[in-house]
Amino acid sequence: MIRQWYEPQNFSEWLRRTFSYLNIAVIILTAIFVFSEFRFDWFENLVGSYLSSTNKLRPETGAIWEAGKQTSNAHEYLNQIISKKEDSRQNVHEATTFFDLASNLLPGDWVTLEKYQFKTLYLTLEKSVALKIIEPAQLIWILNGSSLDRIFCEGITGGIKIYFIDSENRVIRQLELKKEDIFEIEHGIDPITGNLSDMEGFQGRVYPAKKFFDAIFKLPSDIIPDLMVNPEILLKQDGKMINIGIWNEVENGYIKLGFEFEEADGKKIIFIKGREWAVWQLSLNLKGDTN
Amino acid sequence: MGCLAIEPQPERRYKLNLFLKGVRLCIFFGLILVSAGCLSGMFLVFYLATDLPKLPFPLSRIIETPSTQVFASNGQMLITLGERKTIPLNLVSQDFINAILATEDHRFFEHHGINKLRTLKGLYITLIKKGRVQGASTITQQLAKNLFFSFEKTYTRKFKELLVALQIESSNTKQEILHAYINQIHFGAGAQGVEKAARVFFGKSALDLNLPEAALLAGLPKSPTNYNPYRYYDRALKRRDIVLKRMEQVGLITDLEAQQAMLIKPELHRNQSDSRTGSYFLDALINELIQKYGEDVVYHGGIKVFSTIDTRLQSYAKQSIKNGLERLDAMIGIKPEDLDRPQGALVSIDTGSGAVKAIVGGRNYYKSEFNRAMKSRRQTGSGFKPFLYYAAFKELGFHPATVMTDQPVTIPVKGVEDWEPQNFNKTFLGDMILKKALTHSVNTIAAQIVENVGPGAVTSVAKSCGIQSPLKDVYSIALGTSNVTPFEMASAYTVFATLGVLHEPFLIWRVEDAFGRVIFEHFVQERRVLDPTITYQIVDMMKSVIESGSGRSVRKLGFTRPAAGKTGTTNSYNDAWFTGFTPTLCTSVWTGFDKNKKLIDMNNAGITGGKSAAPIWTDFTMKALKSDPERDFPIPGDIRFEAVETTTGCNPEEGNESVEVLTVPLKSEQTLCMDEEQ
Repeated sequence: MIRQWYEPQNFSEWLRRTFSYLNIAVIILTAIFVFSEFRFDWFENLVGSYLSSTNKLRPETGAIWEAGKQTSNAHEYLNQIISKKEDSRQNVHEATTFFDLASNLLPGDWVTLEKYQFKTLYLTLEKSVALKIIEPAQLIWILNGSSLDRIFCEGITGGIKIYFIDSENRVIRQLELKKEDIFEIEHGIDPITGNLSDMEGFQGRVYPAKKFFDAIFKLPSDIIPDLMVNPEILLKQDGKMINIGIWNEVENGYIKLGFEFEEADGKKIIFIKGREWAVWQLSLNLKGDTN
Repeated sequence: MGCLAIEPQPERRYKLNLFLKGVRLCIFFGLILVSAGCLSGMFLVFYLATDLPKLPFPLSRIIETPSTQVFASNGQMLITLGERKTIPLNLVSQDFINAILATEDHRFFEHHGINKLRTLKGLYITLIKKGRVQGASTITQQLAKNLFFSFEKTYTRKFKELLVALQIESSNTKQEILHAYINQIHFGAGAQGVEKAARVFFGKSALDLNLPEAALLAGLPKSPTNYNPYRYYDRALKRRDIVLKRMEQVGLITDLEAQQAMLIKPELHRNQSDSRTGSYFLDALINELIQKYGEDVVYHGGIKVFSTIDTRLQSYAKQSIKNGLERLDAMIGIKPEDLDRPQGALVSIDTGSGAVKAIVGGRNYYKSEFNRAMKSRRQTGSGFKPFLYYAAFKELGFHPATVMTDQPVTIPVKGVEDWEPQNFNKTFLGDMILKKALTHSVNTIAAQIVENVGPGAVTSVAKSCGIQSPLKDVYSIALGTSNVTPFEMASAYTVFATLGVLHEPFLIWRVEDAFGRVIFEHFVQERRVLDPTITYQIVDMMKSVIESGSGRSVRKLGFTRPAAGKTGTTNSYNDAWFTGFTPTLCTSVWTGFDKNKKLIDMNNAGITGGKSAAPIWTDFTMKALKSDPERDFPIPGDIRFEAVETTTGCNPEEGNESVEVLTVPLKSEQTLCMDEEQ
């Protein structure tokens, strides 16, 4: 049944309605609500607890987290440096040749090389080519006679720098090795297919193998090792040697020699280097001008 | 059946009805408001909660930042960077805790993050009374603000701050909150946390703070800049008194205690007037580290930096500059109240490695942080002549006994007026050997040499010695008209000290991470840049500068070790230099005004490098080498010594004692006049 609302007609009606049980209950409840909050801070506790429960889901933002991020950025950066160094050290430790060493160190990377490790790498080289890295006598002095403390290896563009350092961090000796030079020292110049006579640098200086070696054998025996400082490259070849050419330029005291081999699949040219003065003596023999 | 009711009068009844209507309306409106407030509050909480920052746990994690440590060459720790030294509450003076509670939030232990009555009052004042803003933040709210929020004043930020405060209260004890608060609060002058503040302002630990000091510190966080006691001591004291009154009002101290504390003026820690590095060397080193690794690593990475600085030499350098500049003040006639005072700079480098041993960039770091030793490029005057003489010896085959004439010189310069250099004393001495010319710093001969050898050769020598400032290829380069820094001069002269070997100057030997793993190491590399025999000849001439030339004040002041050097004074007397070296240590000293102002003494005479800078150099070098064995410069194998007449460059006739004779070092193939005639 719907009762139509009507305005109270008299004061007692007003009083009765204003202070009805419902109103009084609502007022009391509201008062309890407000005063209990002031007394017990339950609203703060409630909100605080709610926020604590959602803490894990919220973002790490704000000044203090930024400072924390700066710390973790710093650690990350430092760890990068260290792990890069560790990687380099691992790679260098596994290197079996100077070329591996140079290939494993990127420009800016650096690592300390143990004395024995340097010795091992050095001793893997043929005696004739090892001296191109450093003269054995000098190395013996540096490793065994000087105040050497550490060997420090730094990657540079296209190669490596090796520093021999004493206990006061002074550089006793420094070597700079280009990757292609190391490769050339360790493996010789990459062979190419073709004829020596087609190569401009050898023109007019290509000799039949017999004539070339006859001229070599006319040289005093102590000159021959300087003429072919890394003969093992040639000894590894299977084909028949037909021509030898002498390059028309000197590079760092060495002259490139080209050996043309005939193999089943065609002609191949192997390059080695000879010391300038020894090649010059040979050239005189080849020209028949032995005086 | 009805009951009789006394009906009120109609008019009264109407008023009563109206009143009751109002009461009802108010009740319902109030209820609606409360409900709406509750609902919108809940909505806001849910809405903003997703965007609130996460709270670290435990709260103390917020103040754990690894510090970068910088060590001197002898292992002594010089400074820690990015350090936040946290201390437990039991190591903080109770007076400070009381003072900060009384000032910031005396009901801290009673509320749950918000002081509701204070907040309502604050809201009322802020919203109703225009132009007034009443703060009501509790310590927890301040902590929330400092940790997570910017200082922008928006209602959203304020509400978020309040919510975070509630969470902090909910998940931490009051002790934990107070601990975090006092360890992260800013006191100004770079001091964060009460321990650091106590050390910076009073040179003591937070536990040892007494009531007047504690109250002064507690007053600073309100406005660290405005109440900085180093700048505004009286203002800071007034604020301190307010803190004391507040402590008394809330019953934490008695009236008598407050009055007694107000009478005491706390003495500030003078040795560290703020938390800046206090060192030109450290500033330079930190800049280099930042360039290498970035600010995050330097201030938050916890790295260990092993520097080249020698604390003993650094202390001597500071003292020598201080004494020397005070002497210069007296020469100029500067009064204590004068603000415009001459400045000085000193750089000392180990010649054998290039390690920088001491740097002083000005007379008072706390008054001017500008590092004149490394950043101020000034004209060197005659300090550039050794490079000129080397170029002439190398390119023209001149030697110390070559004779030239000190006479008026006019050098035509293309496109501008002819160059007519003058000697300092405006006189001309006629023929003389080059050793004498350098010894007495004869400008006309230097001008003739540069005309012969060309300015390009001079700049080339200077550059190969490590001068990096731009140098002009002009004749006047011979008289040092290009601007270089004292650091460059010290570094370049080390090449003379080592007879031609360059070591790059450096400040850092090694950098390690927090676990001791090496991330950088400096290796000393030698690079021969000058011919050793010619360099020895120049060194011998520079020795003569100290023995009998423009730098003879060095000997007069009692310095007896083998040493060489060169004074430098610009024509205008704006700059006065002395750069000198022993075989082991090279030091450059510059003096002058920052502004374009002459160094003139009270008799109106110009002050030269020999008078102002050389005494500083001498004072410093004597102390620095006090315990080192005496060594002379090594003589190259192809050097022979000849005694020559200073005017003819020939061997002196026997028995003729009236002529001035100097001993000169010559290369084996170099001949004297008589040999040439033969």
